[in-house]
Amino acid sequence: MRCEEIHPHLADHLAGSLLPDVAEQVADHLRGCPACAAEAEGLQDTWQMLGTIGPHTPDSTRMRARFAASLDGFQGGLISGPPEGGPYIVTRRFSRVSAYALQFAAAAAAIIIGIAIGRQTAPAPATTPDAQLTMLRDELREMRQMVTLSLLQQTSASERLKGVSFTNQIEQPDSQVTVALLDTLMHDPNVNVRLATIDALKPMSTRDVVRRGVIDALPRQTSPLVQIALIDFIVEKNGREAADTLRRLSMDDMLDAAVRARARQGLQQIG
Amino acid sequence: MLTVTDEALMMAVRDGDLAKLGLLFERHHAALFDFLTWMTGNRSAAEDLVQDIFLRILKYRVTYRDGGSFETWLYRIARNARADYFRTREPLEPLGVEALSRPEPGLNPMRRLEADRDQARLKRALLELREDKRELIVLTRFRGMSHQQIAELLGIETGAIKVRIHRALKELRDIFLTLSDGNPSCDVKKSTRTLQII
Repeated sequence: MRCEEIHPHLADHLAGSLLPDVAEQVADHLRGCPACAAEAEGLQDTWQMLGTIGPHTPDSTRMRARFAASLDGFQGGLISGPPEGGPYIVTRRFSRVSAYALQFAAAAAAIIIGIAIGRQTAPAPATTPDAQLTMLRDELREMRQMVTLSLLQQTSASERLKGVSFTNQIEQPDSQVTVALLDTLMHDPNVNVRLATIDALKPMSTRDVVRRGVIDALPRQTSPLVQIALIDFIVEKNGREAADTLRRLSMDDMLDAAVRARARQGLQQIG
Repeated sequence: MLTVTDEALMMAVRDGDLAKLGLLFERHHAALFDFLTWMTGNRSAAEDLVQDIFLRILKYRVTYRDGGSFETWLYRIARNARADYFRTREPLEPLGVEALSRPEPGLNPMRRLEADRDQARLKRALLELREDKRELIVLTRFRGMSHQQIAELLGIETGAIKVRIHRALKELRDIFLTLSDGNPSCDVKKSTRTLQII
């Protein structure tokens, strides 16, 4: 076997998948060729070093929550899947919604709000069915959710801030909105948006996914303001399940001293 | 104990039992996340892409064929999703080796820096490697795919894959040695031992 014939076999040699007769030929060549032997040894070292690198560990809890929300949405017919030629992510659902679509949604929401106000202020005819009002409320709620999700995807921080504030107007936001808010808390580059998101999540603090999401977000934040606001949230909602996270933060020398102190205090408060 | 194969689960999903996709998500999301983190250099992008990929599976489930390897099909979708992601977005600024790993809080930064030096250098070398070569190394070494499986995934002859893996490893090693205190003659074996001690 010649030197140039060895190269295709080295990958198999490293993976341990050489056939016995070929392995023998490769070994024979390596014994007699110092250059190829040195190269094989170097590649073997690199191969072994690669084996010492552990995998990147995902935040499986959050990913499961997002996946579950996506699956629910798909099964419920809310999501039709990714657009052709582009990625599709549930919290980025409206990333491709144009300004026109957003304006249309806002106009439609305004009309529905107008109708709702009109119906409530006008003397109700005796024949108005309750079902119609319920339907109207549902439509209004869905429209608000759509506008919120659209705003949360805007590039302007002030628009995203509006989106976060808009969630206050939604009665019982569904899982899509909840997941979008948690995603904003985790990834939004703007501190003010993240702080507003913490406030927006407070009314939903009885939901497990929100409590878990807030606790998961805490060690990932870099802004002391956001870290302290999250600790306040946890203490306010008596989040005993966050005790380990708070303990770790209270001992982390890399963190701002005020954050460490607040974590220590929070730990005492939740008992 | 008998385990239901990925292929059987995917056929159930294809035939309408969408809840079975949850099992496939459990089995594959972590590996996909690792693959995509290496390929994007960005954890957030990788996480978003995993969600995207499973939605694509839902949308295109009827295109899954009996007898086809689910893993190969999955990674084909993953490669397309990744390509589409960067087609419609500004290139991401890679987070770098330090941000790619998640160091435990509380360790002295200097000690951590010293201890992780060689491994960080190899990770950096891998990130500096051209994308197609990095992909080959990640698939064969981290994902444990066979050369035949990679060949099927990339639509290339198995022999050509072996040659490319060899070249990619050689280039990776060259970059690693260049990064080793700027001394190309640095002893790799010594670095290996250090990594094993850590």
